Amino acid sequence: MRRMRITHIIFLVAVGLCLPMLHVSAQSADVPTSIDPLLDGSTLNDVWIHINGRDWQDLHATYQTNTYYPVDFEWNGLRVRNAGIRVKGGSTRNPQKPSFRIDFNRYVTGQQFLGQNAIVLNGSWLDPSSIRDRVSMALFRRMGIPAPRQANIRLFVGAGREYAGVYAISEEVSKPFLNAHFGDDDGYLFEFNHSEEGNNWHFEDPGPGYAWFIPRFSPKTHETDPIPNLYRPIEDLIQAVNDAPQSDLESKLSDFLDIDTFITELAVQNFLSQTDGLLGGNGMDNFFLYRFPRTRLWMFIPWDQDQSFVQLDEPPSQNMAQNILARKIWDEPKYRDRYLAKIMEIGRSVSAPAGADPASGWLVQEVLNDAAQVREAVYQDPLKQYSNDDFEQVVGLMQQFGRQRDLYERAFVAQIAPQLLSVSGTSRIPTLRDRTSR
Amino acid sequence: MARSLVARLTVMALAALPMGVAAPAAAQVRLTFDKHPAVEFGNVLTASVRVKSQNHWRDFQPEPGTADKNVFDPYRERIAVEGKILNRVVYHVEREFHDTSSPWKNIYLDARLVKGVHLQGGQFNMPFGLDQTTSLMALDFNYHSLAGSYLAPGRGLGVMAYGDFFKKNLLTYEAGVFRRDGDNTRPAQLQDTRVAPTFAGRIVVKPFSKWQPLHFARSIETGVAFSDGVLPAGLYDLRGQTIPGDAFVPKVYVNGRRQRLGAQLRWRPGPIGIQAEAMRTRDTRLGQGIDNEDLADLVDRAWYVSGTWLVTGEHKKDAVTAARPLLDGGFGAVEIGARLERLSAGSGIPRMNAALYGPRSPVVPSTADMVWTTGVNWYLNKFFELSANLIREDRALGGSATPAAGAVWSRTFRIEFGL
Repeated sequence: MRRMRITHIIFLVAVGLCLPMLHVSAQSADVPTSIDPLLDGSTLNDVWIHINGRDWQDLHATYQTNTYYPVDFEWNGLRVRNAGIRVKGGSTRNPQKPSFRIDFNRYVTGQQFLGQNAIVLNGSWLDPSSIRDRVSMALFRRMGIPAPRQANIRLFVGAGREYAGVYAISEEVSKPFLNAHFGDDDGYLFEFNHSEEGNNWHFEDPGPGYAWFIPRFSPKTHETDPIPNLYRPIEDLIQAVNDAPQSDLESKLSDFLDIDTFITELAVQNFLSQTDGLLGGNGMDNFFLYRFPRTRLWMFIPWDQDQSFVQLDEPPSQNMAQNILARKIWDEPKYRDRYLAKIMEIGRSVSAPAGADPASGWLVQEVLNDAAQVREAVYQDPLKQYSNDDFEQVVGLMQQFGRQRDLYERAFVAQIAPQLLSVSGTSRIPTLRDRTSR
Repeated sequence: MARSLVARLTVMALAALPMGVAAPAAAQVRLTFDKHPAVEFGNVLTASVRVKSQNHWRDFQPEPGTADKNVFDPYRERIAVEGKILNRVVYHVEREFHDTSSPWKNIYLDARLVKGVHLQGGQFNMPFGLDQTTSLMALDFNYHSLAGSYLAPGRGLGVMAYGDFFKKNLLTYEAGVFRRDGDNTRPAQLQDTRVAPTFAGRIVVKPFSKWQPLHFARSIETGVAFSDGVLPAGLYDLRGQTIPGDAFVPKVYVNGRRQRLGAQLRWRPGPIGIQAEAMRTRDTRLGQGIDNEDLADLVDRAWYVSGTWLVTGEHKKDAVTAARPLLDGGFGAVEIGARLERLSAGSGIPRMNAALYGPRSPVVPSTADMVWTTGVNWYLNKFFELSANLIREDRALGGSATPAAGAVWSRTFRIEFGL
């Protein structure tokens, strides 16, 4: 009995000494107090996942399930205990280098990591560069679209701190994200789950009943609301899109969507040649849908944009005809012109000014900086499925996008709506030859 | 695998019946209906049918965050066939209709090998826990004790030797080996085929059974029990539930030996029944820390003390029989009783920062449920019994347990029918 008490006292004292380490708002100058340095991409951070060896094995063996395992999450001396980790992802799930969701309040109610309830570690399984998603999200934000912040990290795992490769760390689209961007988190947020049944969706009306909605739209807020409360407003949005006359989209849809915002999102994805987004080859995918509190107004929030930078000469009309809302925009000259104008605005924003070194444009610089930051870590990544040559090839293509994508888009616009070219204010339209000759 | 074994045992036991029937043609067939309907084929085979039915009406205090419970609960609906083969082997087959996940309950064969040594094989209660191994029809209260429900191993598939030494059951013993741990454990553990065999044993003595001068003390019996097994790594710590059935002990990883120790006492002087138990379980957690480190053993404890009084004067025994049954010239038998019990789990350390608690943490949140049960049993006749219990829980919960902490009241009413 006495021995037990002494053991307890020693334990309590030891725990008391360790307590300050547990607080996110740590006093030490070395321990971070903001998540910004982890997500702003300024440096390549190291993240250490402390996980029991057996759990790490099970996590890989059962990678198709969403089973959580306890972990401690450590970054820069800040260790958050008893978080939960699970494999995440759709078609990119794999046992070699899976993507993860870290849930900080899985086992400890209300626990956060520097204001985040959860974060995502993306294994970039289908991205040899590991930076396509990050650069894409940066462009969304540059064009005024709320998009999750991303950066790359080196992931270390287990008691032996083994290197598990380069991951993209992303803030999760959840209440903290909504608060940060909209100042309110009381709206209805859904994650879209792409159907694997070959039943691709392009805004078609699925008909009466909620059976179609439930597997596709996972509520991330108001999760316990009755089914009609959750899904009737989505049904109303879809019906409004289907019913709205092509000539008057704005007034008919203004309660449901901000057309200009939607056009901007389409334009960014087209500029980046995103093949798995709102206008992907397999229907709409990789987005969150958010309804603002006490309104019928919805917004698409981009997610998982790593299938971008695919086709340098992709036309602005790519897949527009397949999607009901995109088709109405494309077929109506006034909306199509706004869409094309937005593409050109993006081009001006990310490219070097006429006459300047094409490599000085924002997009090329972004690619060069990010690639330089991760290069050595990618080279040493023991779990990647692509070669180092693949990395360099994709990074090279991304740079080429930065130099030339604007010119290709302008060439298309010149054929479809030449009057829009003067909007940019440039007296002479630079040709593809101008850029490629440098 | 275990279920298929149970099914095979059932088939074997049932197959034994017609074999016995087909034996000597000269065997005399006799139908009886004393307390149970029964059939006898001379000395070859006997078979009697038992029906056990317990239906509850519950009034639980609403608790936010927990699932609503139905007022009516068909708690136990069982049918059993039991008897003797060749007057030497006892068999028992029992099925529960309310529990669809594991409907087969006690299925075993039992034979006396030599004087003082019986051998029992099949699926039955492991010899640990007085309350747990008491027939559900002989319980003094509507629910098993927390100790019996969650720390005692419960039922298992195995072989057990038992018997008694000296006259008047001065010393009885039970010792067995069971394929895995018992069925009072978490469902995930029941499915895990890597669970190693468990040894269990109990010794009970009646120190005064032959002592004439202290007549009132002759029924005192006391004993100790143990179980010892090995668990694979998993979220297999022992459960703990509140009276309404909500889990309050968090899931924790264990790996290695699971040991139980128990002590029991029972005394039945005339119409009074006194019963007490204390038990402790110890689970090792080898390599279960976040960084693969060994964690301190997990220790759970439980105890209870109960007392009953048959106010109508009958002698207290497992199956109380009213001296003057209702509608047969009397009122039946009435018994009042009370039980105080406590189950506690966790590290036993005062509440700390919630971030310290997790399935692989050195520190397990301390949780405890102290329960007062008072009740009245009315034995109408040898078939029917009505019971009402008033239960007060005082919960000290840690971690992120969902049920409400503090004082919680429950009321239950039971109609029991036994044949």
